[in-house]
Amino acid sequence: MNLLYPLGLLGLIGIPILILIYILKNKYTEQVISSTYIWTLSERFLKQRTPINKLVGIISLILQILVVLFISVAVAHPVFTVPNAANEYCFVLDGSGSMNLSEGLQTRLERGKGEIASIINGSLNGCSYTLIYVGTTTETVYYRTENKEQALKLLNDIEPAYLNGEFKDALSVAQEFFNEAPWVKTYLITDKVVRSFENVEVKNVGSHVDNYGISDVEYSLTGAQIKVTGNLMSYENAATLTVGLYIDGDTRAAATTRAVVPVYQKTPFEIIADYTEFSNIRVAITNRDALALDNEVIIYSPEAEAEYKALIVSDAPYFLQSALSTKANTKTTVVSLKDYKSSVSGYDLYIFDGVTGAVMPRDGAVWFIDPKDSVAGSGFTFQGNVSFAEGQKLTYSASSASAVDLLRRNLLKNDIYVKEYTKCGLYRKFSTLLTHEGNPILFAGTNSYGSRELVVAFDLHKSNLPVTADYTTLIGNMFSYTFPNAFEKTSYVCGETVRLNVPAKCNSIRVDSPNQKVSYLGTGGDACELYLSEAGLYTVTMLAGGSERKFYIFSELPENERIPVVAEEAFSVRGEPSSAGKSGTYEDLLAWFILLAVLAAADWGVYCYEQYQLR
Amino acid sequence: MANFAIDEEFLQQLETLQTLIKNNVAGLFGGNHQTKSYGSSCEFSDYRDYMAGDDITKIDWNAYARFDKLYLKLYADERQMHTRIYIDASRSMAYGKGAKHVQALRIAAALAYLSINAMDKVSIYAIRDKKCEEIVTNLLGKDAFVSSIAKLNDVAFEGDSYISESILPTTVGYGDGMSVIISDFLTDNNFEDAIDYLTSKKRDILCMQILSKEELHPQVRGKMHLFDSEQASKSYRKNITKDIVKAYKLALEYVTQRISGYCASRGAEYMLIPSEQSVYKIFFERLTSMGVLK
Repeated sequence: MNLLYPLGLLGLIGIPILILIYILKNKYTEQVISSTYIWTLSERFLKQRTPINKLVGIISLILQILVVLFISVAVAHPVFTVPNAANEYCFVLDGSGSMNLSEGLQTRLERGKGEIASIINGSLNGCSYTLIYVGTTTETVYYRTENKEQALKLLNDIEPAYLNGEFKDALSVAQEFFNEAPWVKTYLITDKVVRSFENVEVKNVGSHVDNYGISDVEYSLTGAQIKVTGNLMSYENAATLTVGLYIDGDTRAAATTRAVVPVYQKTPFEIIADYTEFSNIRVAITNRDALALDNEVIIYSPEAEAEYKALIVSDAPYFLQSALSTKANTKTTVVSLKDYKSSVSGYDLYIFDGVTGAVMPRDGAVWFIDPKDSVAGSGFTFQGNVSFAEGQKLTYSASSASAVDLLRRNLLKNDIYVKEYTKCGLYRKFSTLLTHEGNPILFAGTNSYGSRELVVAFDLHKSNLPVTADYTTLIGNMFSYTFPNAFEKTSYVCGETVRLNVPAKCNSIRVDSPNQKVSYLGTGGDACELYLSEAGLYTVTMLAGGSERKFYIFSELPENERIPVVAEEAFSVRGEPSSAGKSGTYEDLLAWFILLAVLAAADWGVYCYEQYQLR
Repeated sequence: MANFAIDEEFLQQLETLQTLIKNNVAGLFGGNHQTKSYGSSCEFSDYRDYMAGDDITKIDWNAYARFDKLYLKLYADERQMHTRIYIDASRSMAYGKGAKHVQALRIAAALAYLSINAMDKVSIYAIRDKKCEEIVTNLLGKDAFVSSIAKLNDVAFEGDSYISESILPTTVGYGDGMSVIISDFLTDNNFEDAIDYLTSKKRDILCMQILSKEELHPQVRGKMHLFDSEQASKSYRKNITKDIVKAYKLALEYVTQRISGYCASRGAEYMLIPSEQSVYKIFFERLTSMGVLK
């Protein structure tokens, strides 16, 4: 036995002091009575007292001495060494998505963590612990640590994963550890049914619980109605499920439907409600089950929050105005060339149509239609007009640049003819969609203020473009390029990578995960990627040009992680186990304090016995 | 009288009682107690044959006319007794909550009235240390009783008491009534000699042991240092537990049985009286059931 704080034994000085106090202090209550004759006589009638009875008088002192003794020893913090009693523990904790299922009041992961914590708490000091966590990736949380507190803290910090974990890497680490220390006790904590295992103690924390899931949710707007379709699944028992459609955060369902869902069979459903515009819709199963994560899908409208102001400087704005009028979220203002003032500001998009002497605006994107001169900061120079007697066909670019892709999206590629165009010299990087004999006719890039810029180097009135089927689509693509949506859709499956379009002048993109983890994405290029490692609602906050915009991405739990009980073939550590170990130490003060409490209670009992004769 | 809580009504009720004296061999003439011998009272008792020398005035001439033989009429003899009451005036009688001394004085006053009512003489003594001090002596008649009984209020209860040493040197009379000893008997001092002495004097003896509630059922518990009220040198220091209380009760039983046994062996009466018990109950229930009063 060792003492961590030997000075604690100084408390033993209390024992002689206690005895001294006991001797000096007369604890007898004095009282005068009429006669002591009978009391004295009663001595003759007392039963013969045994030596133990004689101790009764000082039993209180004995107990108090023991209390002082145990307090001193407890303060000195004794550590008992128990030879060959310490173990090495290796825990493999399954953190796959199915571990999020509830088993009673706890999730499977919490139960698993509880199992490990109880083993650690019950082990002697000197034991070492290794924790391998099989989450999205396999991670060795700690390796052969002897620090119980740290082991428990790190265990507690473990958060659930949402993807299917691979045991292969974990088994490899465990095998390597076993080869090194064959006395190691390996535990596998999982909700999977492991059919074969060797040198491993499997603690199964899963059971057959009801779980329902919703997937493949899509919506369409027809007239004044919204139609939502998707699939339902019941993984354990056949069930009649009720699905509700909730719009814009309303807690009351706009419409519901019921479906009889056989076991493990995708069952389609359809909900129709009267609605045309929304910022988000939530489709949820209202039946209770063991896992809430897979019971709902939320879809956000990517453009819901966007609203743009456009200024058209033109003497003949009809074609542009009619094209932009299809954008419900765009408010258009038109000024004539003579009324145009270069100091105008406050618009998200400036469209200069055949303007001479335009000044590059600082606060918005710019479209130059049929430019008549060079504009400072535009990235191109005016090199004169090129005219033809006959209309000349423009050539579509075969470039695979993302900007060209975007501008080309959904185009029928109608032939476009022009009789006249402006020859432009480019001195900055642009992506070109249309050319004529190598001259850029429709190109996109950024201006010197970092805003997006699009140049259409011909007069719309002197081309057939406005009368082609592609006109509206092209203007729409130009608009999308100018004001890119952050992403294509808002509902994904966990494990997917989302491509986010980075807006012009973007300062930061902050991502708040469903588990409140904050991360920032790069804003250097036109786009960046976000890997969805968690299930639930991601919040993406973009700070661009001084304004902040929020987007929401819903990440569904993968379907294979929704199954309550899955079989895992094997988890075996090969080799001959050894019974050897190392010396462990026992230093739990709890026993001392329990002993102290018992002694103190006994002393109190004796006091009561003496004073009030409780017996 | 008020100090004894004996009121007029109680005294009137007391007049219906009479002491029964067994050893009425002596006494003065003119009392109210009938003796076993024949005397000169008005109450006819028996006939006997006339013998020469008998007082001829007592011949029943009617009987002579009927039987032609001389018969002498005999009358019952009535004597005056002397009741002597000894009160233990030690400190132990007055100490504590029990107020045993009040009970003792109350009983003494009631007994005295009872005797006065039977035309007996009454003397009351206080036993203090080894002396037997007279409080009232040869009290006779209700007027004298009323004027003298208040002296009981002046009795001081202090010091120790030696019953035998106090009574033995005094005149106690012979066969002329009852001697009453009122004490708590909480002493190992000798009292047996006094009883023997009174027995030898053909006195009816009544020992009344008065104990307080605390003495009968002690409530003290825990570590106690008890001091004797009479002698500071006597003390009892103990952790008083249930076992000790049990032993105390055995000791108390032993003491009361020793006194009652000794009294019984000498033809004396013994009575244990709780200090809180009413005088009415003592006189009208307990003493009558014992045959001391009728």
